[in-house]
Amino acid sequence: MSTLSTGPEHDASPIIPIPGCLIPLKTTLETREEVKTLRVHVTAVRPQVASGTLGLIRTLLPKDGGFDLQHLRRFAKPETLPASVVEEYTSLSSSRAEGGERVIFLILAATSLIPSSALAESLEAHLESKVPLVEISVPLLAPTSAAQAVAWSNEYWPCVYKKSNPFGPHPSLVARAQEEVEGGSGRWMGVAWEAARQAADEGVGEGVGVCVVERKAGGEGRCVAVAGDLRWKGWGGRDQGGSGNVTAHAAMRAIGMITNSLSQAIPSSTPTIFQTSQHLPLESSPLIFPPDPDGYLCHDLEIYSTHEPCVMCSMAIVHSRFGRVVFEQRMRATGGICADGEGGLGHGMWWRKELNWTMLGWEFVRDGDPETKRLIDVDEHLNA
Amino acid sequence: MSSRNMSSDEHALHATYMNEALAMASHALSTSETPVGCILVHPLHSILARGLNATNRTRNGTMHAEFIAISSLLTSSLPGSLKTQTWKARADMLRECTLYVTVEPCIMCASLLRQFGIRRVFYGASNEKFGGTGGVLDVHRGNGKMLSALGTSSGRDEVSEGRDGEEEKEREEGDYEVSGGWGREEAIVLLRRFYVQENGRAPEPRKKGERVLRLDVAPLGEGVSS
Repeated sequence: MSTLSTGPEHDASPIIPIPGCLIPLKTTLETREEVKTLRVHVTAVRPQVASGTLGLIRTLLPKDGGFDLQHLRRFAKPETLPASVVEEYTSLSSSRAEGGERVIFLILAATSLIPSSALAESLEAHLESKVPLVEISVPLLAPTSAAQAVAWSNEYWPCVYKKSNPFGPHPSLVARAQEEVEGGSGRWMGVAWEAARQAADEGVGEGVGVCVVERKAGGEGRCVAVAGDLRWKGWGGRDQGGSGNVTAHAAMRAIGMITNSLSQAIPSSTPTIFQTSQHLPLESSPLIFPPDPDGYLCHDLEIYSTHEPCVMCSMAIVHSRFGRVVFEQRMRATGGICADGEGGLGHGMWWRKELNWTMLGWEFVRDGDPETKRLIDVDEHLNA
Repeated sequence: MSSRNMSSDEHALHATYMNEALAMASHALSTSETPVGCILVHPLHSILARGLNATNRTRNGTMHAEFIAISSLLTSSLPGSLKTQTWKARADMLRECTLYVTVEPCIMCASLLRQFGIRRVFYGASNEKFGGTGGVLDVHRGNGKMLSALGTSSGRDEVSEGRDGEEEKEREEGDYEVSGGWGREEAIVLLRRFYVQENGRAPEPRKKGERVLRLDVAPLGEGVSS
């Protein structure tokens, strides 16, 4: 425990929850602008033979040859299609001169599965009439919002938004989790900011802090670790210049505090630079509960950070298997969590499939005037 | 930094240092740690620090070999005039140091090395799951910033050596040189030896009784199982 006093005004002031709300983060895949498309054969048939035609396709190419087309309407009336699709079909079929007979369009198969000549031949044998095929592009993956579904329907082919998200966590999962964490998030952000303030006031670190919360199935969360930045401790202060002790960033310290209390952890027998012992007054507060000694890393815990963690801390959070990450101030030049944002690194590390661990993530947005809401200023190029 | 332009003496020197890193990785394996080892080499003072993975002993998933080595550099007793130096002065030496590490640094360690200002990194096996110097991100170049026009990180298709001919982005503060493939086969076999053992600490341990240790390693470009 530190011998430094925080002064009576600090001891007396309880942590005041910060009013605000949570905005779900975007994944790297969601922020990519281009739409991946698939080339497919389409045609139009009389409604009476529509289901028979699809049945033939199902026999010819079971399960659509492995392509998932669930987000596309299989059948579409001409008036629901982009004009270009209908025009191209009409130009091919005009010789038939069917005099305004009603037809319905349908997606047959990906062009990579079967050449149009072979497909036409199979269908013509069944339908006993000529089958003009048109090749068009359709979105390969499901839309991630209702608005995107409408835009794609106008541009390519009628799409269905099923509240699924191939580019990130399922929207209903995010919504349920947000209900769970949103109410208490202002309180935990308040704790994180208080740790940041203590670190900055004491001069041992930058004004960055985190609070780690454990939550049992849907219940109230409880704080199991608080850490402020300690990069200048042992370094001789910020005046010395340089990076400071990079391993003493707030998130790294909090992870160390949690894992130190695991029952089988063996502490280092030699001195290290790792600042995983409690130092700031708030870090030893009686408000902090001991974490589960039988836990594994920081599995499914929640981390609330005043600032977007740097690339190192973001990956440390992934390695430690946190379940949820919340931060307030974006760090465009250095942050590893966000995927979007002008001038950001774009790493989106909270949810990247290749990293073998994903979590849920939110940006905490404080109520009130954004110009006046910052408690502590840090350099915009700081690695938080 | 391509090994193709190196003299055979220089090549042999790097190989010798990589053997020291591999010895640390072997030591890790014998103490039930993921076998990754590293050393920090200074041009005047030779090997200044060593590190091996300590994630199992500490139960802390961030205690990778690179963290241990840098901590050792800043806190252990060093020879002669280096003895009394402060953390700051010792950390400044990293600007002249080369890290030899048996497996490509993960994204976390690549950022640690960048922030501390390492001069250059030689690694063995590439790390396609977590790699921060080519495997997944290029933290050693411009902090891995996405090239917005392409939607991919810069040059991720180039993993090991031979970056010299590449179109160079302007060098940024903190960027460092990287060369892969040094002692790669030995590094991979060590990892395989570890993965045929059970990891009883992970939740629901997977049965590995039927796993067979393979000692053959496919040449570069044909898939690395690190």
